[in-house]
Amino acid sequence: MLSVRDLGVAFGSVQPLSGVSFTVSPGETLGIVGESGSGKSLTAMSVMGLLPLIGGRITGGTVEFDGADVTKLPERAYRKLRGGKIGLITQNPMTSLDPLQKIGPQVDDVAKLHMGMTGAEARARTVEILGTLRIPEPALICDRYPHQMSGGMKQRIVIAMALAADPDVLIADEPTTALDVTVQAQIIRLLDDLVKERNLALVLITHDMSVVAQTCDKIVVMYAGRAVEHGPVEAIFDRPRHPYTQALIACIPRGLDDATRLTGIEGTVPTVLNYPKGCPFHPRCPRAEAICAVEPPEFSVEGDSAAACHFAEVAHVQPA
Amino acid sequence: MSNLLEVRDLSKRFTSAGGPFRKARSMHAVNGVTFDLPKGRVIGVVGESGCGKSTLARLILRLIEPSGGGVNFDGDDLLAKTPGQMRKLRARMQMVFQDPYSAIDPRYTLTRAVAEPFEVQGVTPAKPMAEEVADLLEMVGLNPGLATSYPHQISGGQKQRVGIARALALRPSLLVLDEPTASLDVSVQAQIIGLLEDLRAELGLTYLFISHDLSLVKYFCDEILVMYLGRVVEALPDTSAPARHPYTRTLMESTFEPDPKKRRLIAPLEGEVPSPFDLPPGCAFADRCPKASALCRSETPELSADNGHAVACHHPI
Repeated sequence: MLSVRDLGVAFGSVQPLSGVSFTVSPGETLGIVGESGSGKSLTAMSVMGLLPLIGGRITGGTVEFDGADVTKLPERAYRKLRGGKIGLITQNPMTSLDPLQKIGPQVDDVAKLHMGMTGAEARARTVEILGTLRIPEPALICDRYPHQMSGGMKQRIVIAMALAADPDVLIADEPTTALDVTVQAQIIRLLDDLVKERNLALVLITHDMSVVAQTCDKIVVMYAGRAVEHGPVEAIFDRPRHPYTQALIACIPRGLDDATRLTGIEGTVPTVLNYPKGCPFHPRCPRAEAICAVEPPEFSVEGDSAAACHFAEVAHVQPA
Repeated sequence: MSNLLEVRDLSKRFTSAGGPFRKARSMHAVNGVTFDLPKGRVIGVVGESGCGKSTLARLILRLIEPSGGGVNFDGDDLLAKTPGQMRKLRARMQMVFQDPYSAIDPRYTLTRAVAEPFEVQGVTPAKPMAEEVADLLEMVGLNPGLATSYPHQISGGQKQRVGIARALALRPSLLVLDEPTASLDVSVQAQIIGLLEDLRAELGLTYLFISHDLSLVKYFCDEILVMYLGRVVEALPDTSAPARHPYTRTLMESTFEPDPKKRRLIAPLEGEVPSPFDLPPGCAFADRCPKASALCRSETPELSADNGHAVACHHPI
């Protein structure tokens, strides 16, 4: 359905993203994880064709949607795709909604624009979608303004807008980061149900390994603008082969049965102006050797997963 | 074990200003909170936004004035103190704030930021100031070479370390940590939590740890207070105690494990936290609670303890 291959992005002479690949099929959830500054949101923006807005451009690779490369699409054609075939849910529902417009018209616009519906048809559709998102009294909600609603409710409205044109792919960029845990659980459950009921392909961008473990079928771990490990979620959590993936998992406090001390990762994510040579993770890596500072590692494939580490074959043998 | 902090029936009522078209309304941000914090222990306060946990932290340090109740710190009744006496006492009870970006003056070098508590308290450190600052920076895992840097030159995690160094400058016995890692990446969060564990062991500190993250609180704390709309609804005597309040259970079920084999069936808890203004009588959680009865909607359950495990619920699990 959506297939990204070897994607590279540049702003002028700076190259914040390179060699990012993943595919996601209908009914499947793909997680993209990494710390802030690892290039997750930039990947989402590239797929949505929004790079020109922030002065970036795609320098290499392809983004295939339904078998056709869309990176060369003119803006007019992209508009049909964006919001129509590919829906986007952003992190902050407070800034995704127009504070001066009632909820109803904001959601109606999507169906009017992408499906050519009349006002009345679009409103009927809006009410129906709000209902499927378990929003109580959807007809009444249409007459409310965003400031009259809670954060969780606003995030549902944003999801409704993303779904209004019946997309095939949904990209959710940290959809629950701004929400409380009980509301996060509701939204995650909702997204899960939508993937199953509508056979959606969901790309879930998050920094939270527990959210990934709960919802995703497969994951891509990103670091410093590169994919460093990818594969089925069980395999990655069972046998993380890249030291960065291992470290990310070790940062999450587990239940009581596990008294392992949280270690954290020394240092910080490099900024795009000083990406290290060789393996981008080597300055923070506990296992780095001379070769890591010189040569960028190739992906080492094992089953359905792959890790870009010189020592991927031996990495998982070490105690995590 | 003696108590470093004793909080009794602490309450704060905020009133919104009325106007020509609107009546003044009031809400109980913190309502009758009582607990003891023994020396050397870590108590976690957990709850969702708006439950009053940050207000509680500020009330305890008397950064805002309580509407009722009392706070006893190491034998001193805080509410009887004058502002001058309070200031002296605060050298021994410090706070680390959620947002390290706004907790440090952007025009201060790190030296000045870490030396500020000494200035404020009018204390001359035993060692020359430069050495004292270097020691403090080192204590929180920062290179003393950063002393002449400005906040914008360092990362968020480093800033939070500076925030901790400032809090430790006057050798306090109590640290109130208000979501100290909420604005940081998980990798940095783990570093800061590790640092706080080390400092506690090294300096014999006592922590009150405020967080929305139940798995973090379970990892870090000895006891847990669960708050909902201004009240403590459950006090877990240790982190392995099973939840007895339906709200605590919901919180636990909303927390995911970092393990795809332990996926949860997410129980769809209906509704959201109601507005704290003009709460109906009875238990504040009743509208969202699967076990709620008529009694819950008329009478507020009191916190009552059974073997040190207190719960405020008419129908505990």
